[in-house]
Amino acid sequence: MSYRARHAIPDLGVGVGFRVPHYEQVLDERPPMDWFEVISENFMVAGGRPLDNLARLGEAYRVVPHGVSLAIGSVEPLDAGYLSRLRELVDRLDPPWVSDHLCWGRAAGLHLHDLLPLPYTPEAVELVVERVKRVQGTLERPFALENVSSYMTYRASSMTEWEFVSEVAERADCGLLLDCNNVYVSARNHGVDAERYIDAVPADRVVQMHLAGHTDKGTYVLDTHSDHVCDEVWSLYRRAIARCGPVATLVEWDDEIPAWEVLAAEADRARRMRAEVLAGESA
Amino acid sequence: MSLASMQRALADLLRSPDSIVADAGRAALAEGLASASDRLTPAMQLDIYREQFFLRHLDVLHEDFRSLAHRLGDDAFEALAKAYLNAFPPRSFTLRDLGAELPAFVASTAPWSTDTLLADLARVEWAFVEAFDAASEPALDLAAVVSIPEEAWPSARLVLQPSVRRLSLRHPAHDYRHSIRNGEPVAGPPEARASFVVVFRGRLALEHIELEAEAFALLGELAGGTPLGEACERVAASSGATEEAFQEKVGAWFQRWTALGFLSRVELAR
Repeated sequence: MSYRARHAIPDLGVGVGFRVPHYEQVLDERPPMDWFEVISENFMVAGGRPLDNLARLGEAYRVVPHGVSLAIGSVEPLDAGYLSRLRELVDRLDPPWVSDHLCWGRAAGLHLHDLLPLPYTPEAVELVVERVKRVQGTLERPFALENVSSYMTYRASSMTEWEFVSEVAERADCGLLLDCNNVYVSARNHGVDAERYIDAVPADRVVQMHLAGHTDKGTYVLDTHSDHVCDEVWSLYRRAIARCGPVATLVEWDDEIPAWEVLAAEADRARRMRAEVLAGESA
Repeated sequence: MSLASMQRALADLLRSPDSIVADAGRAALAEGLASASDRLTPAMQLDIYREQFFLRHLDVLHEDFRSLAHRLGDDAFEALAKAYLNAFPPRSFTLRDLGAELPAFVASTAPWSTDTLLADLARVEWAFVEAFDAASEPALDLAAVVSIPEEAWPSARLVLQPSVRRLSLRHPAHDYRHSIRNGEPVAGPPEARASFVVVFRGRLALEHIELEAEAFALLGELAGGTPLGEACERVAASSGATEEAFQEKVGAWFQRWTALGFLSRVELAR
């Protein structure tokens, strides 16, 4: 039985990230949107407006938390305080899954607040697998790891990124959040085949997909979430949906955030594309 | 090289304020960790992350300390941010905590410590950050307050809402901050004037008010857990007011504080 079937992972449709410039409009007008993703850490707080807003959002929409600070690939011990607060948030939202990134970000007692890539080595696989199991045990919820954009190539890597992602997911028995833009950005930066990456990821473990824009800096591509999804990423998304089936999708836009209507239109485009591909599959 | 060694080495390289490309020693370290692509050397690859580390944290500090940044100007604020991040690199999982030590850093580190307005601005800004997501306690139950017998009040303790922050300032930095945050023109730095300010989360938004010195002192006693009777005696003793006049003031202060939502509950002595 597939990972999604075993955990009854629902297809939530197409959603967007819940971001400050849209708070008032979303909470007051409740515009049509399939679901919302929130950055977990922004709501792991004691009280105040963040929790009020989250409660109001949850009254109208399905909400899934997506973390940026778990640092699953850091050698330093998992932060028990962090996990405990994440568990509180999960209990508050009752989401169908929880996600964070397949990366590291803590070392020497510091938080670098970045999604740093791991070397693709057996040692890193072992570390992440063990930690994912502990996270899943704490959260008691399906847990998904997102592939990150990267700008560096480790000398130590002994496998491809997709082999690394797949091995971690299979051995940890966790879900995947397939970020099509991150696949594109990393493929451009490292000169690898993005379509081959999409084709190699274990499809039955993909519980969610991300779409976003990026910035071409000339000698590299930076994952900025500051623009429309580009044509090449839309093509990868088509391929991913054709391969994985009806998987919840989320459009991220975190910098130079446009009017709600622009963001909603981007989600509409994803929704139409997804429906077209799925209709073609079933025809 | 072990994964732990790689992560420690990268953490050192990526939080450095200076370019890796321009430093032969650190570029050599980068060569040991990363391999070149057809467009980027290892040092150039790591500099992408290093630049993002600084820009990300600078953005957070700028947003959380906007009036301080305005007062200093962009270049000087960037210099402050670099020095601060070097002295207090981020240790919390949340960027919300990044500026926790900045008020003390500004107050104690030259050249910023020579201008006391800067420390006042940093303290006011940080008080707003803390009040924003402080825990919420139920508001004071006025019906329960009315039922408290008169003889129980002197030994009662008044508990403040967790968001209440008290600031004794040398300048009206709160007014300066308010102007900057609301896009109002400021003629220049405010003249020094002792200011007693409370920052708190009101029913709808973050707010601040300025108190007279005695009211501020009384609120401080209560925040520290001093029973009401003793708190009033201490503040009255230093005020020089008659007992009757002081009691009248205390009554007015409590009415105002209750209306503003400062108070959470009254704890009676057993």
